[in-house]
Amino acid sequence: MIAGARLATLSGLRRLVALSMAQDLGVYLIPGPEIAGVYGLDIEATGMHIVASPRHASVLLVVGKISPALCEAAAVVYAQMMRPRVLFGIGTTELSPLPEADILADVSQQGLMEGVRRLRIALAEGAFNPAVSDFDAPMLQTRIEYTCSMHPEIIQDEPGSCPKCGMNLIPRDAQARMMHAHTEHPKMEGVDYSGMDREATVEYTCPMHPEVIQNEPGSCPKCGMTLEPRETQNTHHDHAGMSHGDMGHNDMAFMSMIDVTMDLPRSSDGLPMDWIDVPFGPFFPGLPGGLLLTLTLDGDTVAGSRAGTMTGNEPLLLQSAMDINKFTERLAKLEPLAPVCYQVLACLAIENAGGLDIDTEIARARAIAVERERIVSHLGWLALFGRQTGFDWLLRRATSLQQDFLHADIKQIVALKAAILDLSGRLQHTPLLKSRTTGIGRLGADTDKILFGPVARASGINNDVRNNDKIYGDLGFTPAGGKDGDVRARLQLRVDEIGHSLALIEKAGITIDSAMSACHVFATNNIDEASGDGEAVIETPRGLARLQLGLENGRVKTVQLATPSTFHLGLIEKLTAQQELGDALVTVGSLDLSPWEIRL
Amino acid sequence: MTTLLVLLLLIAGAYFVAVLEAWISNGRFRLAAPLYATIALLGRESIVPRKPDRIFFEVGPVLLLLSALLAATVIPLTPDLIITELATGALFINAALVYVLVALLMAGWGPDGAYAMIGGWRFLGQLIAYAMLIVMPITAVAMRAESLLSTQIVVSQLGLWNIIYQPLGFVLFFVASMALAFLPPFDMMIAKGELAGGVEAEYTGARLAVFRLGRLVLIITLASATAIFYLGGWQGPWLPPWAWSAIKILVVTATMLLAGRYMPRIREAHLLSWCWMLGIPLALINILIVGILVLEFP
Repeated sequence: MIAGARLATLSGLRRLVALSMAQDLGVYLIPGPEIAGVYGLDIEATGMHIVASPRHASVLLVVGKISPALCEAAAVVYAQMMRPRVLFGIGTTELSPLPEADILADVSQQGLMEGVRRLRIALAEGAFNPAVSDFDAPMLQTRIEYTCSMHPEIIQDEPGSCPKCGMNLIPRDAQARMMHAHTEHPKMEGVDYSGMDREATVEYTCPMHPEVIQNEPGSCPKCGMTLEPRETQNTHHDHAGMSHGDMGHNDMAFMSMIDVTMDLPRSSDGLPMDWIDVPFGPFFPGLPGGLLLTLTLDGDTVAGSRAGTMTGNEPLLLQSAMDINKFTERLAKLEPLAPVCYQVLACLAIENAGGLDIDTEIARARAIAVERERIVSHLGWLALFGRQTGFDWLLRRATSLQQDFLHADIKQIVALKAAILDLSGRLQHTPLLKSRTTGIGRLGADTDKILFGPVARASGINNDVRNNDKIYGDLGFTPAGGKDGDVRARLQLRVDEIGHSLALIEKAGITIDSAMSACHVFATNNIDEASGDGEAVIETPRGLARLQLGLENGRVKTVQLATPSTFHLGLIEKLTAQQELGDALVTVGSLDLSPWEIRL
Repeated sequence: MTTLLVLLLLIAGAYFVAVLEAWISNGRFRLAAPLYATIALLGRESIVPRKPDRIFFEVGPVLLLLSALLAATVIPLTPDLIITELATGALFINAALVYVLVALLMAGWGPDGAYAMIGGWRFLGQLIAYAMLIVMPITAVAMRAESLLSTQIVVSQLGLWNIIYQPLGFVLFFVASMALAFLPPFDMMIAKGELAGGVEAEYTGARLAVFRLGRLVLIITLASATAIFYLGGWQGPWLPPWAWSAIKILVVTATMLLAGRYMPRIREAHLLSWCWMLGIPLALINILIVGILVLEFP
């Protein structure tokens, strides 16, 4: 029986309906399709289809272990789904506050297939159930909170007066600020301008040249006219408090648009509109799962943005010092999108701390494992780009190629060379692709110093640590490069890098099995007694990651990790400002952020 | 009787489009899939969001379906199989399809969700781009037929189909039709990766079924319009007229569905500027060329 059944008896016509439901499975993925991809799960092969809105899904599929914060967000998604709904967990059982999973399976394609088979039976038999109870969780309750219209930072659970100005606090729906699909229209309530507040000041402007604005009286530098004073933006534009100055919305017979929009903050296109905060994430179909992006939209122009991660930044070390083998495993698990890189990084740092030389053969084997992961990761990014921009062919091609590479040995990888060339050639001649990506999200080499990986190389910054690596030098490594620094350049660069990595693997001629096992062994066995501080860097698919750690008698004592996504997250606000919504999302996507490696 | 038959054919066509669309997108040809999907949708809960604009929310999907059906009434599938033969037929198609905009705006505004609302407004922007490119090619088609009667337009292509007589007009009309039917790459209003479904995002159960049916009928209506305006409608050798209509409509539909798969979504600003700076001058040139042809080689 399934917990999310519809409240009714299964009889007559409903049997037929239940059978149809078992055939038509729309699935909403938690945390996202890219995680299913790196676990080697082909969702569509099971006959389910991935949907973009929880409203259209009948199956909620949770892949792998997720943080408590993500579980809470998933519970909201689950509550938004229409009954009958099925909760399907793969490789995880800790889902609270979600109800217990209706179907559980192992992380494998076989497990998935078997799970879907059981799911169909469960749905056909239990879509309607007279004895089902409602799903409820604390975060689904509508909570009213009280805030001051002049001091939005004052928020409390009970009515009262503002400690700052003594005004009566006004009620508002606390949940509306946080949850997807419950965002409100500006005409009604809940518009939060708190980020946009400015002090009321007087500024001086020229009646003939409105672009001339200064803080002091004087004459216009263009025409010499005396500048006229005017008041700048109102202090607070809080519609929730109806504090719209002297223009009450209700008692005015006639409102001119100019009056209505006069005080609103303006974006670059000059069209004054109500601003709304729209959450994209943590499970938005066009962004990596776990990434939380809140855009303040002025019409469809982005006026402001906040970005973060909900994957849960667990500390790298638990309470006490950690066994080195456990530590490498732990680091690998922290980043499901690039586990091999982080495993190798941990090995390198430990070996460095222990003062060990690394055998060339092992180093070479590790490089190959890292390069294969780079191919898989970049293909995953291409799939996400295809999903985001509605480029269906690319989505399917990249997804299937990713699956091919994921478990490919060296022969298969070399055999896939033609497919990669074909993909690259197709992307050169895809209509609309160039206009969709050129000039968007531009990052200059001179202005932004903290760029890493493909994002940096697409801007003409060559800080790839593989340049100085002798192993790579011997394999004839040439770094890919770009110069435009826009989404187009980043797309092209990742496609180029897939080809380069493939060439490296071909040249090294090491079997993948030995490459993978090289990531699990340490250079020598007597590392158990080693002590000291060590540091290592590695060029992950997203850029340079740096790990510093302290060893004590072969146990990891202290640790510090710097990841590229952490730095790139800070670019979002500047990059998306004043962009059209679609462009802004493509820009954020092009940074290839991994919410899992963001450590704030 | 004719009305009933045409309606049945439209529903059958919509069903076929659904099968075709799924086939194109996931590579699986399953004849029963839309049937299962429809029954499942009807059996699922259909909820109203928390603070809807109730009238808009309920009317939106129905209006979309009605608008597409209305446009289909003046489309002749064979010389006799037409619901109503209006003297202003060709313009009526355009007039009826304007309500697609109204429907999407209502459906976008109604549920009180940000994604849907942005989707609705995006379609308004799209209308400004494509609207002239629907009307102006139709003008050139009507010039050749010297009539707005849709049957007369088909008859006028007896010797030479309009796709060859005025290829420019065909291309413009075809692209504008795709934009009107919000098919990829013009699907900004129901974009999954940008708006999590946009206008569709908050609709569920039976209402979603109506919305999707409306979209499918809209596609088939526009494909039929393309067939009668440019591909000589029911005309063709050997086969009976209805068969030719069916073949042409299916080919146009398949082309429309396939095209968007191989490119990313267009940017709104580019669509607007290309339509106005390139499309409209081309449409004017098309009218000019057709005018000269009509006058010189009657």
